[in-house]
Amino acid sequence: MVDLPPDPIQMTIAMITSPLFLKVAIFPGLTSIGIIAAILTWLDRKITARVQLRIGPQYVSPFGGILQSFADLIKLAFKELIIPEKADRFFFILAPVFGLVLGAGLIALIPFSPETLISNVEVGLPVFLAFVTLSPTLVLLAGWSANSKYPFIGGLRSLFQQTGYEIPLWLSSIGVVMLAGSFNLTKIVQAQSTGWFILPQLLGAIIFLVTSVAEQERIPFDLPEAEPEIIMGWQAEYPGFLFLAAQGAGFVKLYAFSALFATIYLGGYLGPGPQFLGLFWSLFKTTIMIVLVILLRGAFGRVRLDQLLKYGWTLLLGLAIINIAITYFLIEGFPAI
Amino acid sequence: MTDPAFLVVAAVTIIGAIMAIEARDLVYGAAALGISFLGIAGLFILLDATYVAAFQISVYIGAVVVLILFTVMLVGPAKGEAPMEHKRASLFAAVLVSMFLGIGGSLASANAFPGVEVCGSGCDLQILSQTLLNNYGTQLELLSFVLVAAVIGALTLAKTEKA
Repeated sequence: MVDLPPDPIQMTIAMITSPLFLKVAIFPGLTSIGIIAAILTWLDRKITARVQLRIGPQYVSPFGGILQSFADLIKLAFKELIIPEKADRFFFILAPVFGLVLGAGLIALIPFSPETLISNVEVGLPVFLAFVTLSPTLVLLAGWSANSKYPFIGGLRSLFQQTGYEIPLWLSSIGVVMLAGSFNLTKIVQAQSTGWFILPQLLGAIIFLVTSVAEQERIPFDLPEAEPEIIMGWQAEYPGFLFLAAQGAGFVKLYAFSALFATIYLGGYLGPGPQFLGLFWSLFKTTIMIVLVILLRGAFGRVRLDQLLKYGWTLLLGLAIINIAITYFLIEGFPAI
Repeated sequence: MTDPAFLVVAAVTIIGAIMAIEARDLVYGAAALGISFLGIAGLFILLDATYVAAFQISVYIGAVVVLILFTVMLVGPAKGEAPMEHKRASLFAAVLVSMFLGIGGSLASANAFPGVEVCGSGCDLQILSQTLLNNYGTQLELLSFVLVAAVIGALTLAKTEKA
């Protein structure tokens, strides 16, 4: 008897109904990332407008213009792709697209609930931060490839900025790892069942928040794309769809970093009520962090590059090391004087 | 039967390394070096050492490649300008690299690190830290010079190309 090859249609159906495929394709994977990034664009504009006593997006749907960002998405996607003549086409196209892919890849590491997790990496936290270190490289390549003045200045600024915040970002998250005894994000959440890490790690959480806003290039740390100074910096030459990718990567990173903050400091999917509410709790905490980061945009002005470098290397780095010392004493007990 | 994933990752690493040397444009060379480092990180993941892979990406791509790109863009030759040939310098570099490879290889051989257990997916963080800091503290400190080496290397690269 010869084994018949499996029916291709049945195989396809089996594949697209498998849990992993659904997770990657729908939630927390690609479809939801796209929709959430579009909604975040709207939320960003609306909240900033309300802080500045404006109305913000209004007309493109009955619900406060929530479809405005989708309309912009469609508009940008159908624009003609004009690539500057002197630009380096390979890196010009590759950098924003790869940046968007990297940003979306970060979501795969976040445990939104015990089941809603694409990839349970044993060392999830360093892998997340390692992915993040790639993005200034891409910004630099994007700025260089445009072969134009403002994009290149933006790319160089992104790099300077990275040297300022990168080390405090890694060091501030070490406190969490020390308390949880693991790099695994699911284990870090489970370790918080006795109490969220935001309390013993308040200092670390603040440093993490500041440095992660710097990583997302949002106000007050949006030096690489400062609109009034260098007209969107490294994104200045990007047309239509590539501009969409460059902007979208920023909002996907906002989502990913807020979710990571909620996971490692605010107890992730832990919360009152039955276990199936875990997904609600993690998304609720993520939303609170997103709104907080957006409010920063309305509240602060832009720092200068020298200020960022100075405080990154002195204040933030010093506080991060102090935070590690405090965490050590919290674990081992304070020495008797 | 060799793991096909290993073949793909190894091919990416080697092709990236060759392109890093052969690229006419230094920026492309640096980017190819980054791809080669990504391949090495993939090899670490295949060896069940995701922790090392994460640091491979963050240190070698996030810092070393960026430093090289940075220096090349700031003080390097203009775009499209072919780098000059340095027969004697490349011979010297080849001897130096092979010496380091020999030393590194002998250090990394099975006899050099007796009693090391593979820190795989179920690895305890405390045991890993103790092994790293107690047994290999000196090596760890020496490895931290890699960034200094990258800065000096990038500056030298950009300088000699100009002369």
